[in-house]
Amino acid sequence: MTTRPTKSLGGPIRKSGVAVVLLVAAVWSISGLDVSLSRLASAPGDAWAIVRFMFPPDFSGEIERGVIGKVLESVYIAWTGTIIAATLSLPLAFLAATNIAPPWLRVPVRQLFNAIRAVPELIVAVVLLAVTGLGPWAGALAIGLHSVGTLGKLSTEAIESIDQGPIEAVESTGGGWTSRMRWGVLPQVLPTVISYWLFRFEINVRASAVLGMIGAGGIGSELVQQLNFRNFDAVGAVLIVTVVVVIAIDTLSAAVRRRIIAGTSRSSRSGSRDATALSDLTGIKIG
Amino acid sequence: MTAVSTRPTKPKPRPIGFVIAGAIVGFTIFAAAKVGFTLTTVINLGNLPDNPLTDTIWDKGKVWSLFWPIPWDWVLDRHNVIDPLLETFQIAIISSIIGCSLALPISFAMSRLTAPNRPTYFVSKAVMNLIRAVPDLFWAKLLVVAIGVGAFAGAWALSIFSLAVMVKLFSETVDGADPRPLEAARAAGARHIPAVRTSVLPTVFPAYVAYALYVFELNIRASIVIGLVGAGGIGRVVEAQRSVFQYDRMLGILVIMFGVVIIIEQVSVAIRKRLV
Repeated sequence: MTTRPTKSLGGPIRKSGVAVVLLVAAVWSISGLDVSLSRLASAPGDAWAIVRFMFPPDFSGEIERGVIGKVLESVYIAWTGTIIAATLSLPLAFLAATNIAPPWLRVPVRQLFNAIRAVPELIVAVVLLAVTGLGPWAGALAIGLHSVGTLGKLSTEAIESIDQGPIEAVESTGGGWTSRMRWGVLPQVLPTVISYWLFRFEINVRASAVLGMIGAGGIGSELVQQLNFRNFDAVGAVLIVTVVVVIAIDTLSAAVRRRIIAGTSRSSRSGSRDATALSDLTGIKIG
Repeated sequence: MTAVSTRPTKPKPRPIGFVIAGAIVGFTIFAAAKVGFTLTTVINLGNLPDNPLTDTIWDKGKVWSLFWPIPWDWVLDRHNVIDPLLETFQIAIISSIIGCSLALPISFAMSRLTAPNRPTYFVSKAVMNLIRAVPDLFWAKLLVVAIGVGAFAGAWALSIFSLAVMVKLFSETVDGADPRPLEAARAAGARHIPAVRTSVLPTVFPAYVAYALYVFELNIRASIVIGLVGAGGIGRVVEAQRSVFQYDRMLGILVIMFGVVIIIEQVSVAIRKRLV
């Protein structure tokens, strides 16, 4: 006699419980959003009207006014911020690793990483801009400081997962602490850590574009200006340039990362690994 | 012991390595200079030009007095911070629900394994990649301009963006699902949608729940900041106080935000531990 397998998605009580919770949450949320039926009905039309205004995008005037320059400025900000974060986070990661640093040292460093990760870079930038005034380098500093949290955490994990053998080997030949770190640890973690830096750079390109919107230079400021003047065809050009640059950098950096980790720049089925890395880098672990 | 122990020769570094290293260093210096990071700005962190406000503060060494003390009675007043914070949660919740529920069918259309046909696959993939390439705050600003200032625009923006993130994460999980149950269902004569629903969905659903929680956390963080461009929530208050130089109030709100983000993270970690 064959028995039918039982369903695995949870019992009916649990399912309807989840449904009720979601429904109540949705209703409560919508109640706070100042939504009226007329607004809901007109919103897609309004959004579509803007999209229609944007096309065809006005490239001629835009390139003259330096949209390309602005988007490159965003890339420079992201790069500088990533370099700042990389140089700060690597030594700190050594101080936070269980297999290297004593507890009195690594616990505070880890807490520092956690605290930094909890503050979005826009918030860092808001505070920095208040002190330094508007400008791209405040954006770079904000990105750098924020990225120290995630890069530090990931580099720490990379250092903790190394093979202890090379360290012992260096020790047996009389190598001191510095030599052990330089020849025993660093070569093992460097490929992973560099690929994390590159991944963070991809994220930082988006972040620096956003930082421009609150006055930290780059393509974001251009977008806000053109939107404020209702130059929708120029907005279209800004968006297209942003999308092209973001996708180009993502593709290039992904190829370099694959070359560093897998030894070939060809695309392989590494999608889910990317997804995990993405979640790691944004500071949130999946499952 | 006759053998003369020969020391292993050090491998010669390839010239391409030097070229790459030089290019990286060169680009870094160039980028830093473009951004305005020169050695002098770092050294004279305080004496930045073209900002009369900070110049005077730094000269008197009183920058801290702008931020301190935090006016807690203002910060803890219901209208000032608590209500906007609730609005932030509302934006995050509704956009997570909308984004994640739309993501379920679209992810299946976007996976090589379960796409009904090739045009659907390519079109959905291209559209979603395009949406994801535009940063979340750009969406918020665009929608604020299109449909008006406030939480409504923010919820729209985050719904769109979390949809794009969710389909990216989840469709890759679907790609990696075991194809054999699907083949079995097809062999048994099931049509496309019932076959996917009964043979693929159960195997990937736990991942869906995990990603949904992750997207919710992302949305909480994003909804805190979208107010800076006028899309509602607590960021609106930060922007308002920043624009009138009330940095002490701003710092108070930031402290509250910091606490909220940490609490949400702890709760979410706890939930995920129970799920897994």
